Amino acid sequence: MNGIVDCNSFYCSCERLFRPDLWDRPVVVLSNNDGCIVSRTDEAKSLGVDMAVPYYQCREVMERHGVSVFSSNYHLYGDMSMRVMDTLRFLMDDEDGGHERVEVYSVDEAFLDLRHIPAAQLHEFSLRLRTVVEEWTGIRVSVGVASTKLLSKVANKLAKKEKIKTNCVMVLDTEDAVFEALQRTEVGDLWGIGRRYAVKLRDYYGIQNAWQLRQMPEEWARKNLGGVVGVRLIKELRGEPCIEMKDPLEQKKMIATTRMFGTPVYDLQPLKEAVATYTARAAEKLRRQCSAAGSVDVFVVTSGDASGQYEYDPHSDHRYSILPNPSSVTHELMRYVLPLVEQLYRPGMKYLKAGVILGRLVPEGAIQGNLFVPAPENRNGALMDAIDNLNFSMRDDVVKYLASGLTRNWKMRQELRSRRFTTRWGELHEVK
Amino acid sequence: MDGEIFFGAAYRGTKQYTQHQVRTASATGFGAATDDYAERGIDLNEQLVRNKPATFFMRVSGDAMVGAGIFDGDVVIVDRSLKPSTGKVVIATLDGEMLIRRFERTMNKIRLVPETPKLAPIDVDLGAEFSVWGVVTYVIHAL
Repeated sequence: MNGIVDCNSFYCSCERLFRPDLWDRPVVVLSNNDGCIVSRTDEAKSLGVDMAVPYYQCREVMERHGVSVFSSNYHLYGDMSMRVMDTLRFLMDDEDGGHERVEVYSVDEAFLDLRHIPAAQLHEFSLRLRTVVEEWTGIRVSVGVASTKLLSKVANKLAKKEKIKTNCVMVLDTEDAVFEALQRTEVGDLWGIGRRYAVKLRDYYGIQNAWQLRQMPEEWARKNLGGVVGVRLIKELRGEPCIEMKDPLEQKKMIATTRMFGTPVYDLQPLKEAVATYTARAAEKLRRQCSAAGSVDVFVVTSGDASGQYEYDPHSDHRYSILPNPSSVTHELMRYVLPLVEQLYRPGMKYLKAGVILGRLVPEGAIQGNLFVPAPENRNGALMDAIDNLNFSMRDDVVKYLASGLTRNWKMRQELRSRRFTTRWGELHEVK
Repeated sequence: MDGEIFFGAAYRGTKQYTQHQVRTASATGFGAATDDYAERGIDLNEQLVRNKPATFFMRVSGDAMVGAGIFDGDVVIVDRSLKPSTGKVVIATLDGEMLIRRFERTMNKIRLVPETPKLAPIDVDLGAEFSVWGVVTYVIHAL
């Protein structure tokens, strides 16, 4: 059987951990730049606060109801996520080792391979996972268990809908249970079905719930539901596992770093500094997984016109370069990235966002030489190691390239951020 | 502290080297004898952090626990995976506030006892919003 563990309103749960005064109060967390609501508690939900709504639109309603609002505190969430995943790995462990049985799917979700748990004990085991994770980390999770990943997602969603009745655990271990669960699940709520498909399925084919979708033939899915992806979806609904557990050590094929600017950028210099900073961050991630990049892609997002401040009509543009030899050295990558920024820049435009995507990743040890361009003699490995070690142990990018700038006026806004309770000595929680 | 170590220390060190990379061995062969015994230095995490995902650090503000050797400004190490029992120092939540106190459970009531004559013990009402956040395992105090 497969399971998925999903943290309940994860960012809000992290904010509540050190704030018992908020345990029964509505809480929301805002996205980068305090733009939109990205996490909300059930109390906020019942006040009618919607996800992905711009903060300024619902600010008044939230103030009236005393909703506590936080900026994203990624240091805290990242640390809490690691604690949840470590706890799961510990609980999934036995002689064979539990590390391969936990696939971290996102910051607040992990798939579990539960084949080693006897069917009769699945429910009890899931309850234990839930209880221990909450006891150890203070984060509440929901557990869905079924024969496939897709069905376990369905179970998880239903468990979350009725937290008290289900105790946040749902195991679909009989045909009847699967039938009932799929009947209660709208197609739009299925993992992998976007809003566009949901509308198409409902209005064009008259398919409302997941059970109806499951009755459709595979050939139909191949034609009308995105080819192989659609076929896999139908099979998973029928209980045939098609989406395998991923190797947690599998390396990424692409690394992207993108951010909204805290305040719009108009000049070339700050734009280059921002992109240089993202390049340094992406290169750090690249080296962490021991890869080198063979291409760099820079993109910028501008607002439609420079004067209209409230008109959000973004346009994006990008340029890319292919490197003669793959590299993981920050300044080597910057050499190709920065000219692209110059090419992209148009005076008078209002820049809202920029990003760097490193592609064509290869393992660092096995860089294939370019027949026509001599490989650099020195890969600057020791220098990069030194920079990475300093920045890791001393934090806050103590060593950075001058190209990244010194002032960083474009840095994102986080006016309502809580303290980094678990990662900084200077920001520990105080007890009386 | 009692109890078994069931989750390793936070920081496993960076000393992943082989014998060949040890540089103290000079051309004359001196130093080679100690190289045979090269190992990682003492790491406080091994001693102080028994269950990493459940361990949190907090700073004490005030004199509530001076009698227990916990002073204003000290750092306490809190383990959420331990069950509170009478006599343990705990981080408790009471009506929305977090407090560090000694935990006392008798037949039908729970008391939070400070270690200073300046404060009175708190009898936890049945109706109060109360929980034990974690058990304090160590205190870090600068002399």
